[in-house]
Amino acid sequence: MRIPTIFTLEVQKRHHKLGRALAVAGGLVLAASAYLPWAYTDEALDDMSYLGGPSTLQFLGLALGLILALCAAMGWIEPWADARGFAPAVLKISKRVGWTRGTKAAGIGVLAYIGFILLAIALELGGLVTVEWGGWVALIGALLGFTGSKLLTPGRTPGLERLRSAAWVEIVAIALLLLFALLLTAYALNQTDGGTFLAIIVFVATITAVIMRSGLGGWLSRAGQKHRTVLVFSSFTVAFLFPFTQNGSDANMSIATQVLLFAATAVGLNIVVGLAGLLDLGYIAFLGAGAFTAATLSESAFATIDWHPPFIVVMLIAGLISASLGLLIGSPTLRVSGDYLAIVTLAFGEIFRITMNNLDGEDGPDLVHGSSGIPAIPNLNLFGFDFGEVHTVLGIPLGRFSNYFFLMLLLMGLIVLIFTRLNHSRIGRGWVAIREDEKAAEAMGVNVFGLKLLAFAGGAFLAGLAGSVKAHVDQSVTPDQYIFLESAFLLAAVVLGGMGTVMGVILGATLLKLVPEKLRFVNEYRMLLFGLLMVVMMRVRPEGMIPNQRRALEFHSDDEELVEEVEEDLPYEFAEEKS
Amino acid sequence: MTFFLDQLLNGLSLGSLYALIAVGYTVVYGIVQLINFAHGEIFMIGAFGALSTWTLLGWVTGGSTAWWNLPLMLIGGMLVAVLTAVLMERFAYRPLRNAPRLAPLITAIGISIFLQEFVRLFYGQIPGFPDAKAAIPFPQLEFFTGDPVDVGGLLINRGTFFIIAALIVCWAFLWWFVNRTATGRAMQAVSQDPDTSRLMGIDVDRIIVVAFAVGAALAAIAGVANGLRFGNIDFKMGFLAGLKAFTAAVLGGIGNINGAVVGGLTLGLVESMATAFIPGQFGGPAWKDVWAFVLLILILVFRPQGLLGAKVVDRA
Repeated sequence: MRIPTIFTLEVQKRHHKLGRALAVAGGLVLAASAYLPWAYTDEALDDMSYLGGPSTLQFLGLALGLILALCAAMGWIEPWADARGFAPAVLKISKRVGWTRGTKAAGIGVLAYIGFILLAIALELGGLVTVEWGGWVALIGALLGFTGSKLLTPGRTPGLERLRSAAWVEIVAIALLLLFALLLTAYALNQTDGGTFLAIIVFVATITAVIMRSGLGGWLSRAGQKHRTVLVFSSFTVAFLFPFTQNGSDANMSIATQVLLFAATAVGLNIVVGLAGLLDLGYIAFLGAGAFTAATLSESAFATIDWHPPFIVVMLIAGLISASLGLLIGSPTLRVSGDYLAIVTLAFGEIFRITMNNLDGEDGPDLVHGSSGIPAIPNLNLFGFDFGEVHTVLGIPLGRFSNYFFLMLLLMGLIVLIFTRLNHSRIGRGWVAIREDEKAAEAMGVNVFGLKLLAFAGGAFLAGLAGSVKAHVDQSVTPDQYIFLESAFLLAAVVLGGMGTVMGVILGATLLKLVPEKLRFVNEYRMLLFGLLMVVMMRVRPEGMIPNQRRALEFHSDDEELVEEVEEDLPYEFAEEKS
Repeated sequence: MTFFLDQLLNGLSLGSLYALIAVGYTVVYGIVQLINFAHGEIFMIGAFGALSTWTLLGWVTGGSTAWWNLPLMLIGGMLVAVLTAVLMERFAYRPLRNAPRLAPLITAIGISIFLQEFVRLFYGQIPGFPDAKAAIPFPQLEFFTGDPVDVGGLLINRGTFFIIAALIVCWAFLWWFVNRTATGRAMQAVSQDPDTSRLMGIDVDRIIVVAFAVGAALAAIAGVANGLRFGNIDFKMGFLAGLKAFTAAVLGGIGNINGAVVGGLTLGLVESMATAFIPGQFGGPAWKDVWAFVLLILILVFRPQGLLGAKVVDRA
């Protein structure tokens, strides 16, 4: 995506010195303004009315200001240190960082951050007069920084990813990043105020943009690829630690468990949509099939089948039932054109919902009590571990939702493992081939039908597993939880996050679930916004927020720079042929 | 016998409705090979456009339900529907014309959700317009609604007449348009080979817009007919109707206009007959949608090209 330029290149060439000075000054002014009062009373966002005592949001503003000033000032410091031969080792690294690009990202970010905060103050307290003078100082700083960064000439392309660094540095960097993410998530989740939550999102987006533009992101992702196991294990450790940051409160854990459930289902859907390129619009029905199976086999008084095997067995049965439904729907449709699959899966979603509604004893056999569904599903009890009870570990009580959170984390791990192993296998390459050109793939001997069916039924199996847990988390299963809009919602998470990536989809799912949860006023407009989001994403960034490079290339086949990047990343078996 | 004829008429009127919407899928698919998933919403928008026209007229006429409201409502509904469809093509589909197959499909779902929610949230906000969060009663016009007509002992709903007549008129119009006008022939050419058509001087972009507009106009007529026949409209009505109409288009052979009509009528008949004649618990209205979709899956297994086949010459 191209960011529009305000000044032409000539103007930038003439005034870039002024621009740099403005950007540094703006950043410093903004940082200093954090110690001034921004709002008249403490009722807007967090308490920003003190002189000399920054609130958390003001501290974040301070950090953004310093980052902007630092990125811009590096344009002076670097040649200065170079001329005097200071710290050559540090300079070597510094010369690979895209400081100017980072400055430009930070310039936009600070303006967005300060602009949002002042707007929120004005809206919540009633009018712009409620913004204290410190707020205006901050705005001036942000505007200076923004204008200054826009006046800079486009900087060098960062080359950090080609930098060799010691393994321990990379591992420490990954660990620090994840720890930072954990603390920030815990903090953001504890905000009951919607405006503060949004401000934090703007902050995180700015930091991410600076990291990506300056080339640090390239270095981090290279480090992540090199130490994949470390990255994966530390991510799970961080997620595992999350319940311990909640001091026994189950409110956030309930949201976190729902987010995780949603994300796990979305990653499953991503196997079908992102890896194999099959548009499945009835995915929620497979989740529902799993949930209904688990409910009818549970020990609920309303369960209709008098057979209660252990949960592991139930889970497998739920997965298998979903997978067989997938085979049933997939085997006729996967032979014909791909467009049909979208509609047939959609029809299947409807068939499922209507059938469940009808299995009420009047229009069909009484299997799931129709629209009232199966309530009062008891908590799980695995190997003597009761999920309904509060367990105290290291003095921190972990409630019901924390228990399910751990279970979902395990399931998520399994799904992610399946996702990545498949993606990097012969099967995954077959899917890429089918996605890019089905006929060519078939001609090269790829078993097109078999691989598509595997993706479709496999995705259904994983949804069945997730559904069986969902039945116990929600404690009741009704047909109206499994409507088309939920399928569309899952698809929105995949599209927003990035087709074919795990991290992207987890991020997308988290955002889509968290934002309406934290911003009540969004809830009413949530589907409207997501519909719009899908249209806009397909136009401006069809590969999603965190794209899979290969996938991005499929959407932007005329982007030469991207072609080179992807070719550099080719797996070794192709690289050999190239040389 | 009367019961059977009743069901037959029921099926035909339902089928005509599906056929009118299905034409929109088929015309667009024939030209750009795109399943315009949001077409069901155009049907809904058409109905709301007609309702709005009537509401606006009501400020002058005091809510008259005389028969002459109908042509005005039809024009109003068609205008709104065509405008929506053209905007949708211009801003959502056209930029994606050379994108991978998945992109326009996802866009279509996005548009579909957006339009539904847009009507749900904002229709009632316009002063004087009814709240669209629940079903809205559609104006019951004189002559087109009211007591059923007695034809030789058979009581026929007046809405049924209107729907079937609308289908016949539209079908005849389409035949004339596609085979006798320059634009129609250009449509046929584009559906056969867009690149050669462009070389022959046909403005392909314009033809695509025309295809969207024709489909939208027919869907709007269906929307009005639906309102007259069933008495209610709501923001969700496009979803199921669109899905059924797509089934009808596939049933007849997608890309084939006659196929859409035949497919629509067949689907309507199958639905009403299944409701009436499948014995036991699995009959009745509760299962009719299931049977329609089962039919779709069966067609895809045994005859993916549809009943009439997707003949290239007829594609337009």
